[in-house]
Amino acid sequence: MLGFVAILVFFTIQLPDTFLTARNLINISQQLSMLAVVAATMTIVMVMNDFDLSVGSMASLAGIVAATLFAMEYPVWVGLVGALLVGVAGGLFNGFLVSIVGILPFVATLGTLTVFSGAAFLISDGKTIFGRDIPAAFSGFARGGIEMGDIKIPFLTITAGLVILVCWFVLEQTNFGRRLYAIGGNKEAAHLAGIKVKRLRLIAFGLTGLGAAGAGLMYAARVASANPTQGSGLMLDAIAAVFLGMTMSRQGEPRVVYTLIGVLILGILDNGLTQMQVDSYIREILVGLIVIAAVAIASLSKRSSA
Amino acid sequence: MDSLTFQNMSKAYGGVPALQDVTLALKGGRVHALMGENGAGKSTLIKCIAGVVRADDMRVEKDGHAIPLASAQDAQAADFRFIHQELNIVPQVSVAENILLGRRFPRRFGVAVNWPVVRARARAALMFLGADHIDVKALAGDLSPGDQMLIKIAAALVTDPKTDHQADLYVLDEPTAALTGEESELLFDVIARLSATGAAVLYVSHRIDEVFRICDDVTVLRDGRNVSSCPIQETTKDQVIRDMTGRDVRDAYPQRAQPHAATVTAQLTSVQTPRLRDVSFELKAGEVLGVAGLSEAGQSELLDVFMGLEPVVSGKARLLGRKLPSDPAAAWQAGVAYLPKERRRQGLMLNMSIQANILAPHLHTHGLVAKAGRERRNALTMSAKMRMKYDSIDQPVGQLSGGNQQKALFARALHGQPKLLLLNEPTRGVDVGAKFDIYQTVRDFSAQGCAIVLTSSDLPEMLGMCDRILVLQDGQQTALLDCASLSSADLLSHFYAPAAKV
Repeated sequence: MLGFVAILVFFTIQLPDTFLTARNLINISQQLSMLAVVAATMTIVMVMNDFDLSVGSMASLAGIVAATLFAMEYPVWVGLVGALLVGVAGGLFNGFLVSIVGILPFVATLGTLTVFSGAAFLISDGKTIFGRDIPAAFSGFARGGIEMGDIKIPFLTITAGLVILVCWFVLEQTNFGRRLYAIGGNKEAAHLAGIKVKRLRLIAFGLTGLGAAGAGLMYAARVASANPTQGSGLMLDAIAAVFLGMTMSRQGEPRVVYTLIGVLILGILDNGLTQMQVDSYIREILVGLIVIAAVAIASLSKRSSA
Repeated sequence: MDSLTFQNMSKAYGGVPALQDVTLALKGGRVHALMGENGAGKSTLIKCIAGVVRADDMRVEKDGHAIPLASAQDAQAADFRFIHQELNIVPQVSVAENILLGRRFPRRFGVAVNWPVVRARARAALMFLGADHIDVKALAGDLSPGDQMLIKIAAALVTDPKTDHQADLYVLDEPTAALTGEESELLFDVIARLSATGAAVLYVSHRIDEVFRICDDVTVLRDGRNVSSCPIQETTKDQVIRDMTGRDVRDAYPQRAQPHAATVTAQLTSVQTPRLRDVSFELKAGEVLGVAGLSEAGQSELLDVFMGLEPVVSGKARLLGRKLPSDPAAAWQAGVAYLPKERRRQGLMLNMSIQANILAPHLHTHGLVAKAGRERRNALTMSAKMRMKYDSIDQPVGQLSGGNQQKALFARALHGQPKLLLLNEPTRGVDVGAKFDIYQTVRDFSAQGCAIVLTSSDLPEMLGMCDRILVLQDGQQTALLDCASLSSADLLSHFYAPAAKV
């Protein structure tokens, strides 16, 4: 949390003219909206000590499914619903493997990562779908926003905000969410305490798949094209964001609000370092080191207080 | 070694004293009991002796010579051996590896593990314990809890032949908590052998009967201070309980409630399950039924039947006039509450708050969206009813003492007025004061018409609490006894009685 403020202050001082401007912040929020959606829904499974490696390729697949439906001249809503359904189905399949069959989440979702990615290549024939195939109503959404005075809040940011709000509500204010936390606390005890562990894990993975598909659509709308690898960067960043967030909570459990801060830290680092014209390879090294340092400091300080 | 004394032991955590000027004088060849309620400072004392926690002040003398004791290495060098309360074995590897765990395995050609020597050394340690029935090649996880405890003791016994030291001190922390009566007997034999080597044995237990049977001296702690210390012949059980609690606990078991209502809560007729045979009984509202037998004769499985965890294959079973629940979720819905045997593994979410732990099975009662205020009130009411001690209801339950953790599970089970309460080892690792609270609560609920099925490896507890006791032998029901005129010896004889073959 302190680190977050420190990073903000650092860039504000280093980039006095460009960093802390409404324009730049809105820019950041739009860039981060996809990651925020994936990370928030990733939090749902990570609450149960599970995780989902397949979100990135699911995002790509969802973009491809929608674009393919558009290319076949279906209306926009059919494309959206189709892509989201694929997301839910893929997520439920993950949940089925993990919860009913009993495969470790790492192995199961590593497998489906490859499956989804392969499916995206298969459907798109390995090509990027763009240009006239993508309807203006779809890509226009990503460019639009709500005018407020002289600034425009992008629809993508608003969508991400809504998803985060829903995830927060589901995890912290409903019994469903608190049962997920109980499962994360101790699966066997949760089962004996009458919590339907299998069913809830299945549903949670479905929600994560849905979030991944949603993020894939947002991405496709933003770049007005769909490509079978465009979501691949999301998975590692999303997991990193949740881990960063976990360092801030009291018992080290994942929480949506802290995940959001994790997303912001990653995004602001990236934006600030880019503006400081730090080489992109060095930027990656720095971001990785900062994530490791944050988690290391948190676990070291936890050990000394215990 | 003749004498080993720890003097002026003091330790404070963040300004709160856990031990204040405690003295412990041990003698070679004698078994010394350390007693006290949860939170009296026993665990801290053991940690100081083990060098795991650094005492603020402590002088250690072995045979009159001061020795350093600031780290786990010092404790090892002083030939102290520890057998901890929780069964920390590695279930996936063999018995022999578990016994030599943490030591340098003997090697061949400098690199490869010399397996025959590893096994021989493990076998020798087991042999010394009189536990040569354990196969050193078996997986540790496949053994019964009693045999697992023996492995741990064997691990403490193993010595490096190059530096052939006998241990001077064995510390056993609640070793019988996970054992049945029969397994405990075996352990007592082992303790006798250990002290016969001339080593001092420090024995920590809540079970006062055991202590009076096998110990030579007893030291009682209360609130981090010495209360009394003397040879065991010079004191009495009542006196020790008074020393521990600071009050009289006249009758550990509260009086039985009035005769039961005529309502039948559960009825089983010739029930057969994968692990049980010929189980028939009728459980009335307010009745306390004990399930007893040797180690793992099917006690847990009989409780599991009511949770939908042990499917009925044949026979008739009714609960509250309906079919048995099919899974734990349905069981809780139907008014069955379950207190599992292993509180840390099966019961608690240790990192989560007391409130979350109490409410885990009861989230549906308030609809879909959480009602924060009402839930907090419910959790507070239940924890107060159980007389739990904590700083905040939002505190992680793992920070509480064992007795308070168990009370949290009781608060969970009793929330929402259960009609059938299943208790598996309800007072394991719980101190005398907390035990009394628990017994009183069980009585109160039985008086309100809640039927209770109880199993415990503590026989006096079974006799003190139950109305009837069902005896199982290897999954088969062999007797259903009335407790009113039953003695421990009678009950035990039924455990071993040859089953009437049908």
